[in-house]
Amino acid sequence: MNQTLDLSGIRNFMKGHLTEVFTTMLSQDAVLTPEQDVPKITDRVSGSVGFGGDDINGAVYLHMSASFASRAASVMLGLPAEEPPGDAEVNDVVGEVSNMLAGGLKSWLCDTGAPCAISTPGIIRGASFQIEPMPGVEQTILVFQCNSDFVVVEVHVKFNNR
Amino acid sequence: MKILSVDDSRTIRIIVKRAFQNYDCTFCEATNGEEGLAAAAKENPDIIILDVTMPVMDGVTMLTKLKEDPALKAIPVIMLTAESGRENVLQIAKLGVRDYLVKPFKETELIEKVSRIINLQKKAPAA
Repeated sequence: MNQTLDLSGIRNFMKGHLTEVFTTMLSQDAVLTPEQDVPKITDRVSGSVGFGGDDINGAVYLHMSASFASRAASVMLGLPAEEPPGDAEVNDVVGEVSNMLAGGLKSWLCDTGAPCAISTPGIIRGASFQIEPMPGVEQTILVFQCNSDFVVVEVHVKFNNR
Repeated sequence: MKILSVDDSRTIRIIVKRAFQNYDCTFCEATNGEEGLAAAAKENPDIIILDVTMPVMDGVTMLTKLKEDPALKAIPVIMLTAESGRENVLQIAKLGVRDYLVKPFKETELIEKVSRIINLQKKAPAA
């Protein structure tokens, strides 16, 4: 098995997985940028899904601008341009995309020797908030560029028994 | 043909329905396993497309209860899941699922899997 259960393994997996999810469900290319700093996204929509098992627990966060989230919802729901999605529809789409990201990570973790379960998704909306990891929690941040927009994936992980 | 879509995400239920818009079939929906069991008993669908992670009752529990019910156990089920790990797939395979599709998915993949199980007919062109 050439997969490693550490933060860099998780990062490598998420890099490919987000690209697959965006291409398949949103017809949208996403390119990982070398940026380490999280770009300021005002009027943000964030999806979150928790995961937990004996050896590992944590959460996956997906951050995007409200305007990008609205366009993504229109694509996924097949809405005409003159019929913008409502907040509930946008929330559902961001939640479902977050669920796909976390579900893929869960599968990867299970196959890498750390079985776990995932939660149902939650949504946070706001103009100015930051998610801080708890003590002992490792964090990796991936910044993707989708045309002129940025999408940020944040994974918080606590490896138990280490 | 009648298709029951059980998923807590309205987005997924819309995508599933849209996938079959050119086929002669009707749809019913449920947002969790508990509602899904009730809908299966009431609507007697030809196939169920079932999510795994849902509130109230998850898809694995619904599938287990479905297979325990003599009146419902013959209804074929395709699991539509974001979780593709080996253990997860083995668990649902043991419960008698007919097939599974991993999210993200293309609508054509879903149509292909469903058409292997039920006799999908294209809608007649409008006169």
